[in-house]
Amino acid sequence: MAIIGVGITPFKARYMNRTYFELAYDATKLALNDANENGASISHKDLETTVYGIYNELFERQFMPDIFINSYIGMNNKPGTRIASGGATGGYTVRMAYSEVASGLSDLCLCLGVEKCNDCYDEKTGTTTPEVLNAIAYSADMTYEYPMGMMAASSYVSMVNAHSEEFGNPTEKQMAMVSVKNHGNAMKNPKAQSPMEISVDDVLYSRIICYPFKMLDCCLYSEASAALILASEEKVKELGIEQPIWITGVGAANTDCFIGNREDLGRLYSNINAAKSAYKMAGLDYDNIKEQIDVAELHDAFSGQEVISYEELGFVKFGEGGPWIEQGYKNSGEGPWFEGELPCNPSGGLIGCGHAVGATGIMSTGEAALQLRENAGEHQVPIEKGRAISHSIGGPGAAYAAVIVMENEEGISNK
Amino acid sequence: MSEKDFQAHEIRDQIHIDYKYTLGGQSKFFIDLKNDKKLQGTRCKKCGKVWMPPRIACSECFEDTEWIELPHTGEIMVSTIVWYTTSDFIQKVPYAVAFIKLDNADTGMLQGVFSENLVPSKIRKGQKVKAVFKKEGERKGKMTDFFFVPENEYENWISKPEYEGGE
Repeated sequence: MAIIGVGITPFKARYMNRTYFELAYDATKLALNDANENGASISHKDLETTVYGIYNELFERQFMPDIFINSYIGMNNKPGTRIASGGATGGYTVRMAYSEVASGLSDLCLCLGVEKCNDCYDEKTGTTTPEVLNAIAYSADMTYEYPMGMMAASSYVSMVNAHSEEFGNPTEKQMAMVSVKNHGNAMKNPKAQSPMEISVDDVLYSRIICYPFKMLDCCLYSEASAALILASEEKVKELGIEQPIWITGVGAANTDCFIGNREDLGRLYSNINAAKSAYKMAGLDYDNIKEQIDVAELHDAFSGQEVISYEELGFVKFGEGGPWIEQGYKNSGEGPWFEGELPCNPSGGLIGCGHAVGATGIMSTGEAALQLRENAGEHQVPIEKGRAISHSIGGPGAAYAAVIVMENEEGISNK
Repeated sequence: MSEKDFQAHEIRDQIHIDYKYTLGGQSKFFIDLKNDKKLQGTRCKKCGKVWMPPRIACSECFEDTEWIELPHTGEIMVSTIVWYTTSDFIQKVPYAVAFIKLDNADTGMLQGVFSENLVPSKIRKGQKVKAVFKKEGERKGKMTDFFFVPENEYENWISKPEYEGGE
């Protein structure tokens, strides 16, 4: 099956002129427009099912927010299902939309993610962020972990610190390089929330959040919606789609939600298993994946985790993630940089674009699809092999993971 | 719809739910913590794995576990020091959180690490720590009834009027 349409709203700190269901409508309309520019001639009335990716009821101030979107986008009397898997909501939503079409339940499925977090407001500090973080912190175990002051950053930093204790990297400088790269890439993406030209020192001297993460190592919580339209092979032919982007691999896995139960604290076996199963399904080789894909959109909620993901997703061996980004920092044409051997997050990723949780993994998948159509705009990277991946992680201790492999017609034919 | 002359309307609101929730099969851990300052883990009757926090069934063997009292000493597996955080905790920064493996346990529990010397080079992997408890009457049968301190600061912390040692 293929992605035939991509719709991504700008990622913003706050939309004063949109509610979450109005944002979801915008992304749906953008995706329909894109599908129609891609050869289709469809309206919302042609969509058969919807899978919704919405992480957090407390952000939306609404339980079962999906049903309010379902009606608002004109999907009454059709099936709709919601996925909520923390930061991996987007990737898991793509996986479920894939299942809708692969099972034959639907030939034309809308995969729609949205999040609007910054209606949360902390009266004591007069700012949104501490209350947004609070709404997220309820994702930690409420008896054993929340009362300790656990939050998203302290959970991710535990993996990163354990990795650094084991391998001596990523160093703070190498983490800062991820931030420099992704903020820099976002300069070319008009939909990104945090385009910035910054130096390694700018990151190192930004405000400490939790050791060793500084403010510029962390993504910002964002408001946005992203939508994909997925079509079966027959539907792609019937609609006359010019550039279908085929989803050829879907992998997901959940590791232990209690970090203290894990065998190796410095890696996510969920990432490793999700990647291996997605690559296997697509007929690709985990040990040689870097040579088989053109671009990767990764879940860089925190800079250090992107470095570990290079290893977990098979781009480099364990312990070589930090040196890999540093190599590309020193030598153009190497590492995960925009001009590098495998560009990672040319869109800017979460650090550059912002993290609109339920929308994020769908944005990443949509961005990868646009790259394969050579339609990404100013942040287009060279496409030679015709393959890309997107990656989502999240939840307590980043327990959830999903990896999606996409290919254009060339990618499929030159295997 | 025209965006020109757009004016947003905002409403202040909150969601508030009260609970009186049961700890179910883990209740003994919290009762013994409150009454006797004991740290009760559980051991799988089949494979012998010692779980802390406790669980009444072994997730690997699908067999029952039994209670086993664990020592108050352990070691930091991994840690961080938090300087910016959620609205519920922002008044408490800086504070350290760590995954701590108690001696004789096979898994690690998240806890706060209190220290007079709250720096990354001291609060890190391998640091030996010991549990300190709130005084009798102050303990509510919750995780916040205790915390850990570096072993060499233990005597200092239990000499404070609001805290006491457990062993």
